[in-house]
Amino acid sequence: MRRRKSSLLAIAVSIGLAASACASTKHTSDSNSGGSTAASSAGGSSTGTAASYKQGGTLTISNEQGQTWPCSFNPYNSSFNLESLGFVYEPLIYTNILQDAKETPMLASSYQWNADKTQITFTIRDGVKWSDGQPLTADDVAYTYNLMKQTPALDNYSLWSAAGLTSVTATGNQVTMAFKQNAQVYFYTFATLVGIVPKHIWSTGDAAAHPDTWTDPDPIGSGPYTVKCTPNNMEYTANPNFWQPGKPYVTKLEYPAYLDNSPANQDLASGKAQWGSQFITGIKSFYLSKSQDNHTWSPPVLNVSIIPNLDPSHAATSKLGVRQAIAYAIDKAKVSAIGEDGQQLPGNQSGVVTPTFTKFNDAGAISAAGYDKPDMAKAQAALAGAGYSPSNPLNLTIISIQGYTDWDASIAIIKDELKPLGINLTESSLTNQTYFDKLYKGDFDLAYGSQPSAGPSPYTELRAWLHSANTAPIGQSASAGNFERYKNPDVDKLLDSYATASSEDQQVSMIKQISTHMLQDLPFIPVTESADWFQYNTKNFGGWPTADNPYAQPSAYNFPDNEQVLLHLYYKPAQ
Amino acid sequence: MRYLLRRVGFFLLTLWAALTLNFFLPHFMPGSPINTLRAQTKGRVSDAQLEQILTSFGYKPHANMFSQYFDYLGNMVTGNWGVSLGSSLGTPVSKLIGESLPWTLGLVGVTTVLAFLLGSLIGTIAAWRRGGVVDSVLPSVFVVTSALPYFVVGLFLILFMTIDNTWLPSSGNYDTSIVPGFSPGFVGSVVKYAALPALTLLITSIGGWVLTMRNNMITTLAEDYIRMGRAKGLSDRKVMLNYAARNAFLPNLSGFAMSIGFVLTGAILVEKIFNYPGLGYQLYNAVNSIDYPMMQTLFMLFTVAVLGALLICDLVTVWLDPRTRAKG
Repeated sequence: MRRRKSSLLAIAVSIGLAASACASTKHTSDSNSGGSTAASSAGGSSTGTAASYKQGGTLTISNEQGQTWPCSFNPYNSSFNLESLGFVYEPLIYTNILQDAKETPMLASSYQWNADKTQITFTIRDGVKWSDGQPLTADDVAYTYNLMKQTPALDNYSLWSAAGLTSVTATGNQVTMAFKQNAQVYFYTFATLVGIVPKHIWSTGDAAAHPDTWTDPDPIGSGPYTVKCTPNNMEYTANPNFWQPGKPYVTKLEYPAYLDNSPANQDLASGKAQWGSQFITGIKSFYLSKSQDNHTWSPPVLNVSIIPNLDPSHAATSKLGVRQAIAYAIDKAKVSAIGEDGQQLPGNQSGVVTPTFTKFNDAGAISAAGYDKPDMAKAQAALAGAGYSPSNPLNLTIISIQGYTDWDASIAIIKDELKPLGINLTESSLTNQTYFDKLYKGDFDLAYGSQPSAGPSPYTELRAWLHSANTAPIGQSASAGNFERYKNPDVDKLLDSYATASSEDQQVSMIKQISTHMLQDLPFIPVTESADWFQYNTKNFGGWPTADNPYAQPSAYNFPDNEQVLLHLYYKPAQ
Repeated sequence: MRYLLRRVGFFLLTLWAALTLNFFLPHFMPGSPINTLRAQTKGRVSDAQLEQILTSFGYKPHANMFSQYFDYLGNMVTGNWGVSLGSSLGTPVSKLIGESLPWTLGLVGVTTVLAFLLGSLIGTIAAWRRGGVVDSVLPSVFVVTSALPYFVVGLFLILFMTIDNTWLPSSGNYDTSIVPGFSPGFVGSVVKYAALPALTLLITSIGGWVLTMRNNMITTLAEDYIRMGRAKGLSDRKVMLNYAARNAFLPNLSGFAMSIGFVLTGAILVEKIFNYPGLGYQLYNAVNSIDYPMMQTLFMLFTVAVLGALLICDLVTVWLDPRTRAKG
C-alpha cells in the first residue's frame, strides 16, 4: 500500500516538473490592454469619419451566442454569416437602416438602374485585393451570384426565385443583373446582405464540389480582417491588403465564445470586453455605474407586440372590441420603463418604429384614433361592446419564450393593467421550440413577440406582419411573419404597389395608409420597440456609433453593419 | 459460458431497444431544425430555402421514416455520425464530440474517481470508529449533501465564490486570452476554471459513497475473520484496511462501474450552470436546437457507455464470485 502511494506521488511530482519545464504561458494578445492612462472622453460622440488614425490595439467583443465557435466561415451557410460577413466578406453597397437607407459604396463604387428598375449595373471598385493578394474583379462578383443559381441551397435570400433574378453577367469592370420585374425592394438584399467570394478559391477543390457544405475554415475575403479560430475564441487580425489604406485602425479583435449571458455581461462590466450586444438587466447599476467610460445606445428597429389570433376559431381575440380594449388599456410607457428597464422605447399602434423611421409616422392619426395614451374609459367601452366586463370576465393565455425575463416583466405589468377591465391574462412561458411551433401554427390566443429582422424602411416589417401571402390556415406554418392571420386586400394592394412606387413621397404615403388600417383593425398591438442592443467602452477606443452619428446599426451581430463600425473604431493610446 | 452469452445477448438487445427509442423520441419533440435555423438567420431566409440548406447537410424530413431508421442504425454502428443540424450547422458530429469529450472526461471522470476514493475512505473510518465524532457527525451531513440537487449547490457556490467575492471563475473552461498548450498558465487556468464545477459534483456525490461504504463496513466488521485478525494481534490499521475495508469495498465496485458509465453524460446541469463546454452542454444545446444527428449520437454513446460498464461489471462479478455462476 505505502509503496504504491509513494510511486503515485512521484508521478504527480514529475508531471508537475514537466509542466513547469515546458514553455511559458502564451497569451493570444501581446498588447497591454488597459496599460495606458489616456484621458477618457465623456460623451464618446466623436465623428471619426474625417480624421485618420494610427493603427493599434486589441478590441474584445462580448456577444453571447450560447455555443462554442464552429470555426466555419462559409458565408452561404446562414449559421455562420455572423462570423464571416462584415469581418471577412463584404457586400457591394452598404445600406444603413438607421439613416434613412443611406448608401455607402463598398465593393461597387457606383450603380445604375434602368428606367423600369428591372436591370441594375454595378461598377466594381478598382484596386481591391483579396487577403491573399489576388485582385478582386467583376468576374468574382458575377461568379458569386451565379454560384447561387448553380447550387440553390446557397441562394439564401431566394434571389433567383422570389426576387426574379434572371441573369448576372460581367463585362470589364461592370456587373449587370437582370430581373423579371421591378426589383427595387430587393436592393437591400442583393446589394447589402450578400458577401462577395473569390472565384479563384471557390472554383477549385472541395469548395467547388460542395459549395453548400464546405466549411471554409481559413476564409480569403476582401474585408478588413483575416481570422484564426479555436472553439473558445476567434481572433481577427487587420488585413494588410485591405482596399482602404490605413484601415482598419484597430489591429486585433478578440471574439470569445460565451455560452451564457452572465459571463458576457460580467466581462463588459469589468472592462475586459469593450463592445457588447445584449440585454443587461439593471444596466445602470450593473454596467453604466461601473465606469464613466461605459455607455449604451440601443436604437429601436422593430416592434415587440401582443399578437392576437385573428382566426374566427379564436372567438375572443378575433373580436375587434377585445383588441381595442387591450390597446387602449396598456400604458406602454410604464411597460417600457419597468419591464424593459427603459432600454426599449414604447411602441406605437401605427406599427412604424420611431425615431428610426419617423418620416413614415403619422402621429396625428394615432392621437386621433386615441392610441397615443392609455384610456381606461375607452377600453371599458370597447370591451363592453365585445360582451365582456368585470362581471363577465375574459380569460386569455399569452405565450412567451422561457428565459426572456424582460418579456416576463413586461407581461406582468400588462396583466395588472388589464385586470380591472375584466381581462385575466395568464402567461405561458414556453421553450423556444414549442413557442415558435405554436406561433407559426396559430395555436395561441395571444402571443408576445416580434419579427426577427428589420429592413431599410418600415415596409419590410409591415409586409411580414400584414401581407396575406405570409399567412396560412390554422395548423399550417405561417412562418413568413403573418402569425396573427391578418387578411385585408386593400393592405395587400398597398404593399404590392410599394415595390413599384415611383417616388419616395409615394412610398411614405403608402406606409401612412397602411398605418390607418393598423389603427382601424389592430392586427397586432405594438407595446415596446425592440432595440439593437449595444454597449460600448470609450476608455481606449473611440469612433463608436452614437445617437448623434448613427452611421451603422451598432450591435456586433448585425452584418454588414459590423464592418462599418470596425472601420470607424480606433485605439486611443496609439494616437 | 451460457451465462456469458446470455449477458452479451441481453446487452445487444438493450442497446437495440435504446437506439430505437433514440431515433423515434427526438422526432416526436415539438419544433424542427428549420425553426432553429430561422431564428439564427433572423428570419431573412425563406422556409423553402432553409429546408434546402438543411437537406444539403443530410436532413430528410420527407423520406420514409423506416428507411431513415435503418440508415440511422447502420450509421450508428459504422461511426458515420453525420454533421450537426443545429447551431453548429455542418460541423461533423464526431468533431464536436471530440472537442467536448476531453472536458467531460477530465471534469466528471476525475471527480467521480475522487469522490469514490474519498467517500470510501471516509466511510471506512466512520465505521471503524463507530459512535465516534466522525461517525456521529459526517454521515448525517452526507445524507443532506447527497440529497441536494446539483444546481442548488452550483448556484450557492457561484453566489459565495464569484459574485460576493471574485475568487474563482464561474463560467467556461479556461481563460480565453491564453493560447491552449501545455504551459503552466494554461494548466493552472484549466484547474482554476474546473474548481467550482468539480466541487459541486464532489459535494453532491461523495455522500452516497460514504454511506454505502460505512454500512458495508459495519456488516463486515461483525464477521469472524475480523475477530480472528484482532486476536492475532494485528495492528488496527491493518485490520481496518486489509481485512475489513477490502471486503466491504467489493459491493461498492459495481456501483462505481455504473457511475463511470454515467461519466459520459457529463452532469448536464453542472455543465449548463458553469457553462462548461462538455458533452452535457452539447446535449443541452442539441436538444434546444433539435439537432437530430447530434442528439442521436450522444444518446448512443451514453447508452453504450452505461451498458458497457454494466456488462464489464457483470463479467467481473462472474469471475470474482463463483456463486453467480451456480446455475450457468
